[in-house]
Amino acid sequence: MRHVLWMAVFAALTGIVFGVVAKGTDRQRLFYGLKVFGEFIAIAFVLGWILYFLPFP
Amino acid sequence: MAAKSIEQTIETPRVAWVMGLAAWAVPGLGHFLQKRFGRGVLLGGAVWGVFFTGLLIGGHLYKVTEQGWAGLVQLLPVSANVGSGLLYVFCWLTNTGFAEQAQRVTYEYGNTFLLVAGLLNYLAALDAFDIAAGRKE
Repeated sequence: MRHVLWMAVFAALTGIVFGVVAKGTDRQRLFYGLKVFGEFIAIAFVLGWILYFLPFP
Repeated sequence: MAAKSIEQTIETPRVAWVMGLAAWAVPGLGHFLQKRFGRGVLLGGAVWGVFFTGLLIGGHLYKVTEQGWAGLVQLLPVSANVGSGLLYVFCWLTNTGFAEQAQRVTYEYGNTFLLVAGLLNYLAALDAFDIAAGRKE
């Protein structure tokens, strides 16, 4: 659970920076930041499940 | 008829370099100096937040300790860490945050936070530079 929390914090703070420096209207930048946040979370879960099934010793 | 290309050279104002440097040195400062308080709070707050969270959860900063090729490999993470500006310099001078804490379960997350804090601050510094140079609204 702790890892998920820190992953969400990371995604949120990174999403803020990406959203702020992006070009476009405030609304477009807000949605871009939210998109970056969502993508970080989604990709982390997908990669997590892929790694779960890999037979590491 | 051959198309003529028109090249226009616009000189970058010196203040843009100062703003970029200020934004790199202290995350958020480059925007504050340009009275972009909202951007400064968001960008500076995010970079400071990522940096201190990284230290809090057990991450460590990198410095070049090896010589030769091994030292070259260390340059990559060091260049990312140096992006945090004076935060990195302060930690370096006080020898804070360089000890590896592999016993903590989140230390790898912490390392990533610290690396990304520097990289995000490079983005913020470029943003401050672009605003001062008139290339961005």
